Amino acid sequence: MSDEITPAAAASQPIAGHMQNESYFQLVWRRFRRSKASLVGGCLVLTLITLAVFADFFCPTSIYHIDLKSTFIPPQRVHFIDKDGQFHLWPFVYNYTYTLNPKTFQVYWAEDESKPYEIKFFVTGSEYKLLGFIPANLHLFGVEEGGTIYLLGTDKMGRDLWGKACEAGRISLTMSLFGTLISIAVGSILGVASGYYGGWIDNVLQRFTEFVAAFPNLPLWMALAALVPKTADSFSVFVIMSCIFALLSWTVLAREVRGKVLAMRSTDFVLAAKEMGASDARIIFRHLYPNTLSHVIVILTLTIPGVILAESFLSFLGIGISEPLISWGLLMRNTQDIQTLGQNSWILSPIAFIVAAVLGFNFLGDGLRDAADPYATM
Amino acid sequence: MLNYLLRRLIIAVFLLIGIGIVSFIVIKLPPGDFASRYRQFLLDRGSPQVEADRAAQMLRERYDLDKPVPVQFFLWVKGMVTEGKFGYSFAYRKDVGELVAERLPKTLLLALLCHFISTVVGVGLGIFVAPRKYGFWDNFWAILAFIFTSVPRFSIAIILLYVLVIKLHQPSISSFFSPEFVIAPWSLERVIDMLRHIWPAVLIAGLGGVARNLRVMRGNLLDVLGAQYVQTARSKGLKERVVIMKHAVPNALHTIVAYQGTVLPYMMQGELEAAIVLGLPTMGPLFYESLVNQDIYISGSLLLMYGALILVGNLLADIFLAVLDPRIRYS
Repeated sequence: MSDEITPAAAASQPIAGHMQNESYFQLVWRRFRRSKASLVGGCLVLTLITLAVFADFFCPTSIYHIDLKSTFIPPQRVHFIDKDGQFHLWPFVYNYTYTLNPKTFQVYWAEDESKPYEIKFFVTGSEYKLLGFIPANLHLFGVEEGGTIYLLGTDKMGRDLWGKACEAGRISLTMSLFGTLISIAVGSILGVASGYYGGWIDNVLQRFTEFVAAFPNLPLWMALAALVPKTADSFSVFVIMSCIFALLSWTVLAREVRGKVLAMRSTDFVLAAKEMGASDARIIFRHLYPNTLSHVIVILTLTIPGVILAESFLSFLGIGISEPLISWGLLMRNTQDIQTLGQNSWILSPIAFIVAAVLGFNFLGDGLRDAADPYATM
Repeated sequence: MLNYLLRRLIIAVFLLIGIGIVSFIVIKLPPGDFASRYRQFLLDRGSPQVEADRAAQMLRERYDLDKPVPVQFFLWVKGMVTEGKFGYSFAYRKDVGELVAERLPKTLLLALLCHFISTVVGVGLGIFVAPRKYGFWDNFWAILAFIFTSVPRFSIAIILLYVLVIKLHQPSISSFFSPEFVIAPWSLERVIDMLRHIWPAVLIAGLGGVARNLRVMRGNLLDVLGAQYVQTARSKGLKERVVIMKHAVPNALHTIVAYQGTVLPYMMQGELEAAIVLGLPTMGPLFYESLVNQDIYISGSLLLMYGALILVGNLLADIFLAVLDPRIRYS
């Protein structure tokens, strides 16, 4: 055996300090993984996105199904033990039938214990278009013909609240993401311009940022949202609302990006690039902006929950989006009427989705903030 | 320092003008002028056309709607400053100034009460958890703080409303006083009665503020507790209580004061959400109603008021900080 190391052997042998050669994303992931809360947040967000994208699959009936004969049915309980006290290995539900109070005409829903309906998984049911174009009719769960399964009850129009809440995530999440992306674009442009060019541009932009930041967000959002004409079509409403949310949320990012760019402007690698005759555009897009990207992503994640909260509040008040678009806040619109709420308390359930989304993004953002700079020691 | 305060004041005036312009744009943005909307409002109510035309014309003259827009803006501002005239509300049939004067004190009372309580409680909890870093109570409050800031406040308001009205049959909701106290002069009973009515709103708006103050105070105090002079104090043999309360806390409080400027808008928005859902007669429900009715002078004026309140709050926080902390640079 000679001491000479062949290239092949060198490749197979672990090199000292190999651990340092992990890529940036590996380092970020390694640090991100350490925090349980951020993993939980990531899972929450992923779950909500999955539920929203495949809402048709997770809802036992069609999500567009309207049945005015089954309005405000309470959540159906999943049973294991039937009325005779016998234990069933497979869960089942009872249908609800209604009785009318002859004096007050109030509707009472009661379980009809004569016929149990077993819950089945991966059943074929109403047809839908998966992702909008793949025809499908498979649903995650359901019951036999003649039975109903409303896990969260039904709303004023007799729609399954569970399916509706899943579907509402589409608008709530995409609108907040879209609005935040616009604000990220605006904030990045203004932040880079402010930090890179400095001088009077910086001064003007900083005063402008200060001015926008001084504005009370919620009242202005409400005022602008109320101005959106009621006759506008769904798509325009969606875009206009997103822009309204973007309008005031870019200031944090602009300041952060400015600070970062300002700090990096006079570092060696930027000076070197300048000496070599790189254009401003090249320096900004190849050298400066990519280095702020980790912070941009963190702020993106932390801006989303604010928009979700604001959007749900506006829709809840009826000045945000309106039918046929549907969001978590809009689903809770009926709870404004204390009488309706008093009799049908389960229509509050979309709150859980909002809380899950806000918590999820907050946890995720916090974890990312700690992980974004993996070279710093903790 | 006087120089610094003066500059802050001048910037604040410019910001206020900017907020005024935006509010005015909100007034002007809907198609058609205010008088034509008022005319439509009267026609919808069944007034004869001649009458509606005449009323609209009167309004146009009174509020100078026939003049160019910059002049209108100037006159609007002038009317507010000199006569307290904010514009006409057709739903209430009086000047918005009167409505604002009616509701502003209540709004301020609620917002300041929330602010004060949440600051005291939040700072207190921060002092409590910081020395117990990663202990049970620290984690417990960290989780609670996360929940407080994540649950939409309007939904806390609905749940509270549901519990109080449907489950507990509480009559003390949606007003500031019980009927027997509405016109009574101020007395201890009246204050207690008021507190019994407004505590849900204070609670709802305050929870998020508590959570935020708690987090900031905890972070600051942990930073300060790591400083060398704290170590010196400890090695002098001072009791841990004295080290924290006498040496660490006063230095951690500065950031809390600076932070109040950020918390204030949050509290105002919380008050807005809570008051709308609970129906308390503050500026919040009036603002919401005006948006739904397109009673645009109310919307614009209240928007201006919200902006101005937050601006003044920020200014006060800055001034207070400058007085409190000699290390602030005035350049």
